Amino acid sequence: MAVTADFKSGLLAAIPNLRAFAVSLTHNTDRADDLVQETLVKAWDKHESFQPGTNLKAWLFTILRNEFYSQMRKRGREIQDSDGIMTARLAVHPSQHGSLDLEDFRTALERLPEDQREAIILIGASGFSYEEAAEICGCAVGTIKSRVSRARSRLQELLGISGEGEFGPDSIAVQILGAVV
Amino acid sequence: MTDKKEPSERRAGRPGSADVLGSNSEIGRKLRQYYDGLVSEEVPDRFAQLLQQLDQAESAAKSE
Repeated sequence: MAVTADFKSGLLAAIPNLRAFAVSLTHNTDRADDLVQETLVKAWDKHESFQPGTNLKAWLFTILRNEFYSQMRKRGREIQDSDGIMTARLAVHPSQHGSLDLEDFRTALERLPEDQREAIILIGASGFSYEEAAEICGCAVGTIKSRVSRARSRLQELLGISGEGEFGPDSIAVQILGAVV
Repeated sequence: MTDKKEPSERRAGRPGSADVLGSNSEIGRKLRQYYDGLVSEEVPDRFAQLLQQLDQAESAAKSE
């Protein structure tokens, strides 16, 4: 069966999102673009296995993600353990009170273990549901939830944001006390 | 070539998909700012060219 025009335009429309996801996985634009290219070729080749009416974006993200991990295995790079030990040593200094610099954020994000980073990106930025993200990552919904939650806590830790009520009474009190002293 | 994104598509599924990363969350906001920045980058021509090549290869194979 030939590739339909719908499928083609779907691929084209998904490219910006695929690139964003690829960059957040690889931290490298060239590698990300290679990954997107590989994804498009694979998607084209196996277009018959895509069921029209289902989520093309999720289908493409799955291909991209599989390709990413298979490349990593080929490169012999080890996937970081979920409980990496970088946190304690990493110092990211948020600029002024509460205004978090985007560069600091990017640095912190790159420090997350891959499984947590992809989970928080899929849920918090790419707009997937927990169910879709679980499908993309080939794991249980509960696993995605716990990865997102760990990713969030880790980022808060790395960026020095307190857990509940980021600009709540406590931080205000600290500022006032600080000013008085 | 089309490298415009569909606002409706980009936002699909966002509301409620992650309460912990909602609009009150600094992490959630930064995450979206980071990602949206990437999404709105200009897409290299190579991808549109690639799709065109795949398309041509397919038509060529069919007409043989």
